[in-house]
Amino acid sequence: MAYGSNTGLWSWLTTVDHKRIGTLYLFTALTFFMMGGFEAELIRAQLQHPNGRLLGAEVYNQMFTMHGTTMVFLAIMPLSAAFFNFLIPLQIGARDVAFPRLNAFSYWVYLFGGIFMNLSWFVGQAPNGGWFGYAPLTTMAYSPLLNIDFWVLGLQILGVSSLAAAFNFITTIINMRAPGMNLMRMPMFTWMSFVVQFLLVLAFPVITIALVFLQFDRFFGTNFYTIAAGADPLLWQHLFWIFGHPEVYILILPAFGLVSEVLPTFSRKPLFGYPVMVYSGMLIAFLGFGVWAHHMFAVGMGPIADTMFSLATMLIAIPTGVKIFNWIFTMWGGNINFTVSMKFAIALVGLFTIGGISGVMHASPTADLQQTDSYFIVAHFHYVLFGGSMMGIFAGIYYYFPKFSGRMLSEKIGNWHFWLSFVGMNLTFFPMHFSGLAGMPRRIYQYDANQGWDTYNAMSSYGAYLLGFATLFLVYNMLKSWHGGAVAGNDPWGAPSLEWSIPSPPPDYNFAEIPRVSSRYPLWDVKSPELTTDVPHTREGEKRIDVDAAGQHVGGGKAIGNPAGASSGASRPTHVERNHKTAEELGIPMPYPTIKPLFVALFMVTMFSGMLLIHKDKLGLALAVIITSAMLMTGFLYAWLLSPLEPEHH
Amino acid sequence: MPFPTRPRVPVRAALTALLLLAAVAACSGAAPNSIFHRHSDFNREIDVLWKLLIGLGTAVFIFVEGLLIVTLVKFRKREGQAEPEHVHGNTTLEILWTIIPAVILIVISIPTIRSIFNTQARASADALQVEVIGHQWWWEFKYPQYGVVTANELYLPIGRKVNFTLHTNDVLHSFWIPQLGGKRDLISNRTNYLWFTPDSVGSAAFNGFCAEYCGASHANMRFRTFTVTPAEFAEWTVHQAGAAVGTTVATATVATPTLATPADSNRPKHVPGGGKGDSAQVAMNAPAVTTPATAPAATPAGFTGYPISRVATSNVIPTTPLPAEIAFTDPYGNPARGATLFAQGQGGCIGCHAIKGVPSAMGNIGPNLTHVGSRLTLAAGLYAMDAKHLARWIKNAPVMKPGVIMPTLGVGQYNPVTKSKMTVGLDDQQIADIVAYLLTLK
Amino acid sequence: MDSAAAAPHFVHPPTTTGLDNRKVAIWAFIGSECMLFASLISTYLIYKGRSVTGPFPHEACNPPQCAVALKPILNIPVTSASTFVLLMSSLFMVLALEAVENKGKAGYEGIRGSSKFWLMATAILGATFLGFQAFEFTSFVHEGLTIRTNLFGSSFFTLTGFHGAHVTVGVLWLLTLFAIDMRRGLGPKDALIVDICALYWHFVDVVWIAIFTLVYLIK
Repeated sequence: MAYGSNTGLWSWLTTVDHKRIGTLYLFTALTFFMMGGFEAELIRAQLQHPNGRLLGAEVYNQMFTMHGTTMVFLAIMPLSAAFFNFLIPLQIGARDVAFPRLNAFSYWVYLFGGIFMNLSWFVGQAPNGGWFGYAPLTTMAYSPLLNIDFWVLGLQILGVSSLAAAFNFITTIINMRAPGMNLMRMPMFTWMSFVVQFLLVLAFPVITIALVFLQFDRFFGTNFYTIAAGADPLLWQHLFWIFGHPEVYILILPAFGLVSEVLPTFSRKPLFGYPVMVYSGMLIAFLGFGVWAHHMFAVGMGPIADTMFSLATMLIAIPTGVKIFNWIFTMWGGNINFTVSMKFAIALVGLFTIGGISGVMHASPTADLQQTDSYFIVAHFHYVLFGGSMMGIFAGIYYYFPKFSGRMLSEKIGNWHFWLSFVGMNLTFFPMHFSGLAGMPRRIYQYDANQGWDTYNAMSSYGAYLLGFATLFLVYNMLKSWHGGAVAGNDPWGAPSLEWSIPSPPPDYNFAEIPRVSSRYPLWDVKSPELTTDVPHTREGEKRIDVDAAGQHVGGGKAIGNPAGASSGASRPTHVERNHKTAEELGIPMPYPTIKPLFVALFMVTMFSGMLLIHKDKLGLALAVIITSAMLMTGFLYAWLLSPLEPEHH
Repeated sequence: MPFPTRPRVPVRAALTALLLLAAVAACSGAAPNSIFHRHSDFNREIDVLWKLLIGLGTAVFIFVEGLLIVTLVKFRKREGQAEPEHVHGNTTLEILWTIIPAVILIVISIPTIRSIFNTQARASADALQVEVIGHQWWWEFKYPQYGVVTANELYLPIGRKVNFTLHTNDVLHSFWIPQLGGKRDLISNRTNYLWFTPDSVGSAAFNGFCAEYCGASHANMRFRTFTVTPAEFAEWTVHQAGAAVGTTVATATVATPTLATPADSNRPKHVPGGGKGDSAQVAMNAPAVTTPATAPAATPAGFTGYPISRVATSNVIPTTPLPAEIAFTDPYGNPARGATLFAQGQGGCIGCHAIKGVPSAMGNIGPNLTHVGSRLTLAAGLYAMDAKHLARWIKNAPVMKPGVIMPTLGVGQYNPVTKSKMTVGLDDQQIADIVAYLLTLK
Repeated sequence: MDSAAAAPHFVHPPTTTGLDNRKVAIWAFIGSECMLFASLISTYLIYKGRSVTGPFPHEACNPPQCAVALKPILNIPVTSASTFVLLMSSLFMVLALEAVENKGKAGYEGIRGSSKFWLMATAILGATFLGFQAFEFTSFVHEGLTIRTNLFGSSFFTLTGFHGAHVTVGVLWLLTLFAIDMRRGLGPKDALIVDICALYWHFVDVVWIAIFTLVYLIK
């Protein structure tokens, strides 16, 4: 059973193939994205008019909490993870990630954790403390029901998933690069992902501890956030934002990476200032750990602390600005092909700039006192997260869908998706700048008429409906194209990096032969070496090797991507080539499919959910669930660790 | 409204339209809570920063987006074009766009740091001291220099520095009057400070908000700030520091047993003193009832509160619609009878509320009601203070303000906390009487 | 990935760094754990001296602050002993790894080459440390300090409890290695899996040095 069957539900439940796990991440995260989006639509419907009556206060508060939590932890992060999974091994020329079974485990923990958190809707007690859940509101004294329990347990579960994935990808990138793929030849997406993994590894333990304190307070009566015992609510805020600010970069850097792949391809030019792009990404991440308290200027930290955090925050604008200019100059002098993917990437450059400018405005503490916790902030972070992260992820979806599925997404439907999203996004979030400056606080479920907010809110609501409508085009496009789209071939876009050298979708072993890499743009070197003569692609003295990466399927000439049109000419294949050799035929050892990671994940989640029973006054049942789950989890963990990954002898 | 809803509307045109729309709305004076009103030294300090931030931000925006658009137009793909030259970078350019933003940021940081130290300096000792205490979900304001305790409506003399001392009684809140200054959080186990000098516009009303999410009715934790002349302020403090004026308890109207519904025993546990309704407690309260003060509606002298006639814009008086489920028959309310009911502890009001001059009313859970009739708003800026709203508020507060501690008091009302109908409680007549009484407490 | 046993045409490409993937991963894991304990220790230090009621770690608590007079609660001599035990376990861990790496070589006969002995000895010392911790926790509870008593109790028990949980995992890990050693014997080719366990064990030990210094020694 070394090579499990490739179809059927069981094959998906037991898969350890990074590409299939990436696909699972993609579709699961898009599902949660739709849920978070639906929550947003309800929020906007409630706020469309003053004194809205659609949702009550309690439901609204659950809605915005779950919208934020879902979008951050269940949509954008896992969408990035979909690309980490699918792309990192392909981009560095590896056959899989370092720990394929751990990878499956990460996915299943994420899935079950997401389901766990959303089950709270069915008991009518969804989390309601806001996505940053400030103590002491989240303590038992003020939130005695299960709402916060779902949140505090759910986030810990998701943290396990993120951390396990981060260890995996760090190891993969450090240790599994193809020969010649030195760090400064890595594609920019892999670079930004690499940086993000370090952020995850260093930031998630901090929120885990903050959540453990809250969990202990709620379940065991500790005093970490108990006001009467002398606790300091700022402990939570500091711990949360020490995690929370790096989290912002965890959300945005993968999108930066995707866009850095898309812009060069469709400009037919290498990335401008590659080393600076790498260093600025690292600098952003490094500085990102020293600016957390700019989320807390209103707590009164004193002028010295305000000044320090203000200056550090402003400093981050410099490497971020450098990225923007480098992207623009990547296009400058190029041959810009406005595919849908390219349009989304360009939109990121334009829209993230707006979020960046308002970000600098928050960095000035005195001015920030008029912005923080108002709709101005809501506008800012939606420009960063929708205008930035989501636009980048959409660009990535249109760009990499052919590699995922072997089929092109429809450009026509994609154009509808892009333009409706672009207009809808600006119509939704731009007026929020004004409602914020007009004094509208965030997280209010109703507001009075005659406050000067009605028009802006109506605009935002219409924009949100438009945005929701636009997203349906993406769903339709993906469903329609998964089997019915134009056949992609290896390299439909004429892209430069290794993942385009192999069939679409790639065979389970990825590379029949591990490629040798001699430049940052291996495929461009093969196809038009004269264009990359000034790439610092060889080590001094090393003879340049033209890469025929997989030994087959190097694509046909200068295929400049225009899937709908005919520019790529007659060399385009007319059917998906799935007749490549199997791993067995090639003698490549592949990991066994296994269900064990799924069970470990499942029992870990049931173990956490057993805690809920404690607050239902069912201590005995709770202990039974927790102990049984823990034993089953440990049992499956041992079974997993003691069974071989792949066949050892042939 | 010309919403750009069709695709392929030129993108930048759509953005421009948005900007114009926003500008029109901002200039039409329809932004009563705008942070750009410079009604205090604090906001003028911020205004300097804002001008700089918006100016530079707009310049950067135009430059970057302009460059982007030029690039897109100039280098769009054309038929038969050769592969572009593969440029990998340009050190001079890259240094340039590192240094220029750095310079811009230095330009911003200098006034920023100055403003940090300006606004966070120690308030002068002669400042008006106001203690702000946040409650879920209302504001308590104390003026220790004048012995005044009030709720949800703040009076500030024009031209005098006011130093707020911020505490919270429960969870975190944030004190924010957009037109007068930046916000400052109220943090458990900590004391925060904020000061500014309201000036330049004379007598005016400003809306304030809680800006830190604080639970179910966070949206309904609003307050009003009235700036008044120093003379008016002096009169106001004298009046507010005094005992209740208006209707007082009259022996003649001591409630008959038929009228007095026993205080309901189903009341949620969290209302101290509102429990038993046993005779001992009524007896204890008796002295108040027998106080032979009969003078009806003594009209206080001088400036006792912001007159509704001075509220020029409608944004001060809330327009929150009444929930349909609270029916009220609107009987004629007798203030004297209401005073007696209140002092006797009917409905349990005195368990939570204090009225200076009514010895039985010593509660400190809810707002101080000594001069409740002088207020323009009810339930932390959520409703207008009038008989219609107050009656329904007393009848079923939790329906009018989600999560509020004030219990359902009207007999026959559905109590959303206990999820059951009230079998005991106040009837409409009793409520009308209490309302009539409270509204006389100017 | 194990490449040693595969047939020639089955060979996995060598890793980029030449290190085994698991070794790289354990370092990433330890980096993460550093942040975990940094958060716990910082919280302890931030809350130090903020408890509104006793018992306190280094100071007595007298009425009226406490209902009855309470002595400083930390027992430094006993904890010094348990610290010594844990330090010795790290030494034994080194010897266990050495025994596995050099199994069968000259000079590693007898006890020096007995990985079983050293693994079990390390585990026993780890368990002894846990025994000390159990004794300490019990006596604190008897003296009136629980995880619910005050900020000190909450942050102290959570911090040391987290460390204790890490030691417990380490002991289970050592016992698992011991069981494998009993079943099939650990030799030089297994050095890596012992090495990884050793890295974890030393890390847990180093964390305890930090805790012992910051919580127990510094007043």
